[in-house]
Amino acid sequence: MAVIYRVNLSDLTVNTETPSPEYLESGGRALTSAIVAKEVPPTCHPLSAENKLVIAPGILSGTGAPCSGRISIGAKSPLTGGIKESNSGGMGSIALATLGVKAIILEGKPAAGKLYRLIVNTDGLKIEPADNLANLGNYDTVAKLYEEFGDKVSCISIGPAGEMCTTASSIAITDVEGRPTRHCGRGGLGAVMGSKGVKAIVVDPTGGERPKPADVEMFKQGSQKFNAALKGHPLTGEGLAKFGTNSLANVINQAGAYPTRNFSEGQFEGTEAISGERQHDVILERGGKIAHACHRGCTIKCSRIYLDKDGKYVTKGPEYETIWAHGANCGIDDLDAIAQMDRMDDDLGLDTIEIGATIGVAMEAGLIEFGDAEGALGLLEEVRKGTPLGRLIASGAEVFGKAYGVSRIPTVKGQAMPAYDPRAMMGIGVTYATSTMGADHTAGYAVAPNVLGIGGNVDPLKPDGQVELSRNLQIATATIDAAGLCLFIAFAMLDDPTTLDGICEMLGGLYGRPFSADDYAEIGKRTLALERHFNEAAGFNSRDDRLPDFFKTEKLAPHDSTFTVPDDELDEVFNFVE
Amino acid sequence: MPKVQVNLYAMLRKYSGGKPSVEVEIEPGQTVGQVLEQLGVPPEQTRIIFIDNRAASLASELQGDEQVGIFSAIGGG
Repeated sequence: MAVIYRVNLSDLTVNTETPSPEYLESGGRALTSAIVAKEVPPTCHPLSAENKLVIAPGILSGTGAPCSGRISIGAKSPLTGGIKESNSGGMGSIALATLGVKAIILEGKPAAGKLYRLIVNTDGLKIEPADNLANLGNYDTVAKLYEEFGDKVSCISIGPAGEMCTTASSIAITDVEGRPTRHCGRGGLGAVMGSKGVKAIVVDPTGGERPKPADVEMFKQGSQKFNAALKGHPLTGEGLAKFGTNSLANVINQAGAYPTRNFSEGQFEGTEAISGERQHDVILERGGKIAHACHRGCTIKCSRIYLDKDGKYVTKGPEYETIWAHGANCGIDDLDAIAQMDRMDDDLGLDTIEIGATIGVAMEAGLIEFGDAEGALGLLEEVRKGTPLGRLIASGAEVFGKAYGVSRIPTVKGQAMPAYDPRAMMGIGVTYATSTMGADHTAGYAVAPNVLGIGGNVDPLKPDGQVELSRNLQIATATIDAAGLCLFIAFAMLDDPTTLDGICEMLGGLYGRPFSADDYAEIGKRTLALERHFNEAAGFNSRDDRLPDFFKTEKLAPHDSTFTVPDDELDEVFNFVE
Repeated sequence: MPKVQVNLYAMLRKYSGGKPSVEVEIEPGQTVGQVLEQLGVPPEQTRIIFIDNRAASLASELQGDEQVGIFSAIGGG
């Protein structure tokens, strides 16, 4: 039976609710955003008792649909001040779905200094003290929990950064091996979990049951179609498994859109040393693993296991965005140092994109030199010690840049930009500017048609067609995030129409009624409309849907381009929202 | 004879013996497709082509001194 657990941290009570018919069919981003929009006052302080942290598995999570293990976490973001949904792989989503949990809602606020853990299993949800986990990194936290609860559980946890309620903090989700390597990274949601005094959620799916489709045949047919489309695409069928997400490094660098030394240049001379091709060789030379799946049922397998020179485990991946953020963006071309930073980010519970961007801004400020990997690791040590400087680093690029008087701060709505410079790739600039989430590449991945030749070709150096492109991608993506599907299925979806047919048949099979492509788009549109309205009520207006001015005034080498999509066109992205 | 530098990436790197780039002699006016044929790269495996950091195609002509970047299907993020 499906349930929503409402956990009140003010009086330590748990209410088990039966989801409404609407919530029953919802999931992932659609559900977190619906609950946040309905229940959280848009003007509240994100760290106050009035904010709520909503955790929801995707609609298809747990059903056995390929690549459907994404978990969504939503709240009012302490980083952006707007609504936030951040999603992640790992095993948490499948574990919750197996227990019939549609959502866990954390609300209220405990007395200062109190720390709790939540235990979710077939008996329900229990709140227990967790003082013994205080100040532990995510790795030690989950090690203690696995020791106590066995290896069948999944953990959702925060590190010291979340406990300090700093605005670049993440929420970790354990992977197939039980490591805290998958993160709802963006938007400082770790701080919201920290403000609720919840250090960890242990999910034990033992004895639970997979959600059952109402029409098993339709679901099966859709699942097979979807699987075949993923296998048949060169990227989702082979490329991502072999070279991982970081195969992007060379292509984005070739396109002149690889942000280098805090967005001051578009190409990095050290790219080959930190490229996906090099990473592939290093991993295999040391006995690491490529083609690793972050959750069961993933057929794309973009993850990898990275070992140090002595063959000892360091971290997963690292991913393209992480390697860029701590690499090219900081002028660092040392893959081992970057892997070490990824490990520290995961352990401290920090968003790797935000932290790489912050270190880049710190370098721009002259705190340390560009290229100084040891200095960068030292800044992360400051976070671990909880020093004032560490707290500033853990607060993200915008706060840090203001504190140090930096004028080139690559953020939108307070959130740092990922690994594509919008001056050489204008479609992604439209997404950065207008997304309800702040600067977020995943919200509408215009990189695919701008540079990768996937889903058509739209010239990245011209403003033409970028608004329509970003709009359509933002709608399609919001539904992918609701379904609990990995965003990388979009590569197949953009090239092969049977991918969407398969998804619609899976959703139709689950619901027991025909489900059309229009129904699919409607989920995304409705979700985006809720998010826009929340942000408006929180105080955002069209002036917040803009890139920082330097993208219009400072030319980017090698194309000497600036971002030229007109403001009035940016205001048309959400023309479908009333 | 004029030369171009051809950079092969991801799945295509096996056609340059694992090296990031190879130098190829060309006749002015030769197309990217013809250069790839010389290197034994199957055109259907190429998805993204750059000449001097600008998007190009198999039919794009080369004059010499260009940097050519050739990729199989790439994605991530």
